[in-house]
Amino acid sequence: MTGTAGLVGYLLLVGLVAPALLRRASWPQRAPGSAVLVWLGLMLSFVTALGLVAHHLVEPERHLHTGLLGFLHACGLVHVGGLGLSAASAAVLPPAAVLGWPLGWYGAVLLRARRARLEHLAGLELVARPAGAEAVATVAVGRVRAVVVEHGVPAVYCLPGRRRRIVLTRGALDVLSPEQLRAVLAHEHAHLTGRHHLVRAAVEAFARAFPGLPLGAAARVETAALLEMAADDRAVRRHSARALAGALGAVAAGLAPGVGLAAAGSPVVARVRRLLLPARGPHRLVRVAVAAAAAVAPLVPFLFACGPTGA
Amino acid sequence: MRRLGELEAEIMDRLWSWGRPATVREVVDDINRDRPVAYTTVMTVADILYGKGLLRREKQGRAWLYEPTGSREAYTAALMQEALGASQDRSAALAHFIREISADEAEVIRRLLDEHPAGGDRP
Repeated sequence: MTGTAGLVGYLLLVGLVAPALLRRASWPQRAPGSAVLVWLGLMLSFVTALGLVAHHLVEPERHLHTGLLGFLHACGLVHVGGLGLSAASAAVLPPAAVLGWPLGWYGAVLLRARRARLEHLAGLELVARPAGAEAVATVAVGRVRAVVVEHGVPAVYCLPGRRRRIVLTRGALDVLSPEQLRAVLAHEHAHLTGRHHLVRAAVEAFARAFPGLPLGAAARVETAALLEMAADDRAVRRHSARALAGALGAVAAGLAPGVGLAAAGSPVVARVRRLLLPARGPHRLVRVAVAAAAAVAPLVPFLFACGPTGA
Repeated sequence: MRRLGELEAEIMDRLWSWGRPATVREVVDDINRDRPVAYTTVMTVADILYGKGLLRREKQGRAWLYEPTGSREAYTAALMQEALGASQDRSAALAHFIREISADEAEVIRRLLDEHPAGGDRP
């Protein structure tokens, strides 16, 4: 049972302590892409550990040191030894349920987002016009369709998916200079090509699957901000950072104050600050190491299950 | 074949611009000036728009007179309100350049931009 105790400790570490530390760290803003990977790694690791705890609870006596088979066994994927069918399914069900629960949420969140998107697209079809006159827009975004909606409040957003497009309001076109507009479009384009909506949906699914868990709540807020920063970074590779910061300022000034005011504050101030006062990002090797650590994190719980103190 | 949504847009566009009730025949004739379209197709799509609550209708003789339930501006405003709204489903669906901001934050951003007139770009 020491393995189970270790796993529970690990769950507390990943579910409570790690998010608090990561939120306070300053490096994520300098390497937003890597930081997103770390949040995803933590969430996956949490689910793996929870699955292993479920497995240990139903089968505390079984020894797990049997190489690859044991490894799969620990996931509840393969069963070693001559368990009867009913016993086997009884042992597999709890861990499978633990893994299936957030996966099911992921599917549900993706479906709901898709439905909301199609509904919105249908509405757009009635009032949006192709951004033809604003030729600058179409050139800058390549093959993604940009459309304009006659609405005074400045807003720019993109709809991912098969019928992906970038939506600009007349209000946004009025307040943005051509240079700022190009930077904004590059930002939205980065969201689309980076498939950021899939990451947002995964985080949303995790937060809904484990309501009240600090890891989910923190990841929801932080990854949303980090993805914006990642898209900003992508945009300023080919466009002026000053123009992008100016665009943020112009759109912010045009939004009705307090529109959907976030209690936690919006990350826009931090985005402007890092665009105007860029800090050097971590060395590439550090970023690779962080990404590798994030990729390995989901496997760490197996150390508790299969390590010397395990089982 | 064109998508149904496009025809919906063409019908709404005309009724919004005309600003008066019109029959399916009038809409068909007007679309036919650009391209051929079948009367029954337009009738079906007008019925769909009625079902969606975008059009209201009134019998005049043997034909229905259709009219938008709201102005184009009101429809656009509602659509944008929905896009800028705070629904979680929506947030996963759309990626906003800026989703929400307080007046204080907008002011901080304005000051930052003033204080760093040349900030950001490498020389």
